[in-house]
Amino acid sequence: MTNDNGMNGNGASGAVSTPRILEGLNFLDLTWFGAGPIATRTIAGMGANLVRVETEKRPDGLRVAGPRPVDAAGYNVSGYYNNFNTDKKSVTIDLTTERGHELGMELVQWADMMMTNFTPRAIRQIGMDWETVSKANPEIIAMYQPMQGMTGPHSEYGGFGAVLGTVCGINGLAGFEGNAPGGVGTNYTDYVVNPIHAVTALLAALYHKRKTGEGQMIDMSQLESSVAALAGPLFVQANGAGDFAREGNRVKYAAPHGVYQVRDGAERPDRWLALGCIEEGQWQRFAAAAGHAEWADDARFATLADRKANEDTLEALVAAWAREQDGDAVLASLQAAGVPAGLVLNATEVLADEQMVDRQYFRYLEHPEAGLRAQDGSGFKLSKTPAEPMLPAPMLGEHTYEVATEILGLTPEEIGDLVAERVLF
Amino acid sequence: MAMALEGVRVLDASGPIGHYAGRMLADLGADVVKVEPPEGDPARQWAPLLPGVDAPESGMQFLLLNANKRGVTLDLSQPRGRELYLELVKASDIVIDSLQADEAAELRLTAEDLEAVKPDVIHTSITGWGLSGPYGNWAYSDIVGCAMSGTMQLAGMQDGPPEQLPDMQGYHSASIQAAAGAMGALIYHQSTGEGQRVEVSMQEAMSMSQETAMMQADILGTNRERGVPMRGLDLPGLGLHETSDGFVFLVASGLAGSGFPGLVGLMAETGDAADLQEEPYATFITEKMNANFLLEILADPEQVAGVQGMLDHMNEVVRAFTKKHPKLYLYVEGQKRRVLAGMVSTPGDILESPQLAARNWFTDLEDVGRGVTLQYPGPQWQLTGTPAQLRRPAPLLGEHNAEVFSEFGIDNTALAALAAEGVVTA
Repeated sequence: MTNDNGMNGNGASGAVSTPRILEGLNFLDLTWFGAGPIATRTIAGMGANLVRVETEKRPDGLRVAGPRPVDAAGYNVSGYYNNFNTDKKSVTIDLTTERGHELGMELVQWADMMMTNFTPRAIRQIGMDWETVSKANPEIIAMYQPMQGMTGPHSEYGGFGAVLGTVCGINGLAGFEGNAPGGVGTNYTDYVVNPIHAVTALLAALYHKRKTGEGQMIDMSQLESSVAALAGPLFVQANGAGDFAREGNRVKYAAPHGVYQVRDGAERPDRWLALGCIEEGQWQRFAAAAGHAEWADDARFATLADRKANEDTLEALVAAWAREQDGDAVLASLQAAGVPAGLVLNATEVLADEQMVDRQYFRYLEHPEAGLRAQDGSGFKLSKTPAEPMLPAPMLGEHTYEVATEILGLTPEEIGDLVAERVLF
Repeated sequence: MAMALEGVRVLDASGPIGHYAGRMLADLGADVVKVEPPEGDPARQWAPLLPGVDAPESGMQFLLLNANKRGVTLDLSQPRGRELYLELVKASDIVIDSLQADEAAELRLTAEDLEAVKPDVIHTSITGWGLSGPYGNWAYSDIVGCAMSGTMQLAGMQDGPPEQLPDMQGYHSASIQAAAGAMGALIYHQSTGEGQRVEVSMQEAMSMSQETAMMQADILGTNRERGVPMRGLDLPGLGLHETSDGFVFLVASGLAGSGFPGLVGLMAETGDAADLQEEPYATFITEKMNANFLLEILADPEQVAGVQGMLDHMNEVVRAFTKKHPKLYLYVEGQKRRVLAGMVSTPGDILESPQLAARNWFTDLEDVGRGVTLQYPGPQWQLTGTPAQLRRPAPLLGEHNAEVFSEFGIDNTALAALAAEGVVTA
């Protein structure tokens, strides 16, 4: 059952010789959906020997969510799952069974670190609470990352990113005053904020352990992690520096600051220029590059305070100007003048973006069922120990046999029995 | 109690894009020294400002993201400033900066320059586009990163403009990735003694936040657009609902939790279930409003047609119910019944959150230099063996010049001379 499908794309030749940060580190991954698996994907990308426990009885919702190739079906073809689970091994164990739990505890003993993002209730149900885990392995680092933390009156509350998004405040902060608080179109904090915060915490705990030998429990509330990344308006309001009001694409420290629709392209209507002039010089250079040097001399726009006071007027002028511009041309001319400008790219454009391609951010990995697919690269480039994904996401249970024999020490007969009993399932 | 990064020294010369990275390492126990130009970091001037405190000590964003750091000033463009900076580099484990490639070359403070004085330095660069590539030296600001990462395309109403992500998510994403990368490099240094370069581009740092959009474009060749619900369905108990005082978000259509029956139970409690506990609704809700039915609908929307009337009625009853009650009630009482409900929090709601209060998440800290006591939001994580500690407010401009530079043999007389030359602030 071990699948030696090889590596493809960017990582192949470096696999043997390139040192990796977490080589030799064993990591037990009991996460699912977004915030957990992206954290453990990053750990796996650093070279940890990472085993993700799943079960066909209740597979990760992302395995069935798609997008998937037309005509493809099953648990192994979802881009949503596959992008978040590169470099992992998948073993299917039903931890709710008695024998399954015993095997789970053997993995706990094998592991240097573990992580789960189940609710506290589910964690108790599978017997993976800190008391049990630390008894079996006193030196382990275990991260618990439920929605609202392991303690407190709301700790058992359930919900996916869409629920968390409303509670953590992003819906209330984003968008224009007067519109319904519909959020930012994604379960935003699931994808970078919560998982990559988690990586920093895990590695800090590992640093401490390697210095002192001490493991520990990390109680990471996705709510707290999300709010921490949205803390500006809270800090302002809590300390009497102004009550929050939604301001769309504006900010208090800069103007002009927003998006302005440019001329429709033949195949690309709905194109927008993003502009954020933070420094006075950027504003003056913008006016000049836009062919409206007189704006910078206009008393209504002379200082930031003036531009904020006359922001509606200023935005109307910029919007009317932008509507006549070709997006690519205006971006090039503004950037040539040192103006912080960009285009609101869609995903196809991001994949093909000159800068992203030049820096090889996306990695293309061949997956046995899903084909050659783009994967997000690492959010940080490390010069000596690259953390980019090298192996495609595992198929459900792809490594069950390997893990059962090599880590759990089971014989083929025992494995057969456990599969029949739906423990390894 | 010990802190995880005790003994680790970080030099943070970054501008606003990198402030949060150094803050996280400081919270974990590192000694972070912030280096600013003599006129101060630009974010010191950014509104909102703290009333009653003068410039340049009142910028709230600066105060928040630079707490727990010490602060010095240095003009890196002057030879003596550069020299002192390299002394600081030598004494640091991690250096964070946000110099773009051309700037670094002009100042002769590239990664190579740093490695020349400290071969095992962990050099962490946080910029808009990274140090290489055709945009390497392009100008950037937060909203530009939101735009060019694809993330902003997904936010907003169908008939409105794309919307930025609130509170500098481009900068925060870059800093979050950088902190994680620097920690990885620190672990490698711990086991090998070797440094390396960590390089973050805001455009790349945010890409994962496109959710499924990148994969959809890659696999299906189509683009997700803003303002379109993922499934294009309006099922009862699913999505944003108006309350008496705001909004609540419900996922009560059977994906998890107690689903729609749980919601009806909640409605019945206040006599708001109307006829949903009677036939034909009672049977329909028990038998059909579950995940399997939902998945059937997703596979074949035409199946909905036969029950559209019932769905519409249920939707109306639910919306009338939520409109009558406050969001906190719907959230707390719903969750008690395992209805997946979330209230749309305002900053005021979060400041009063019973959950955050129970976990002592907010901390008051006296700021002697500014003559105020401010309330700070808490840490991103609780490392129970090595808890984060809020130890000091953001530095006043040049506050620790004497303290830090004295380590390098600069006494008060020498410091005054440097101030006279404009190398540091007086």
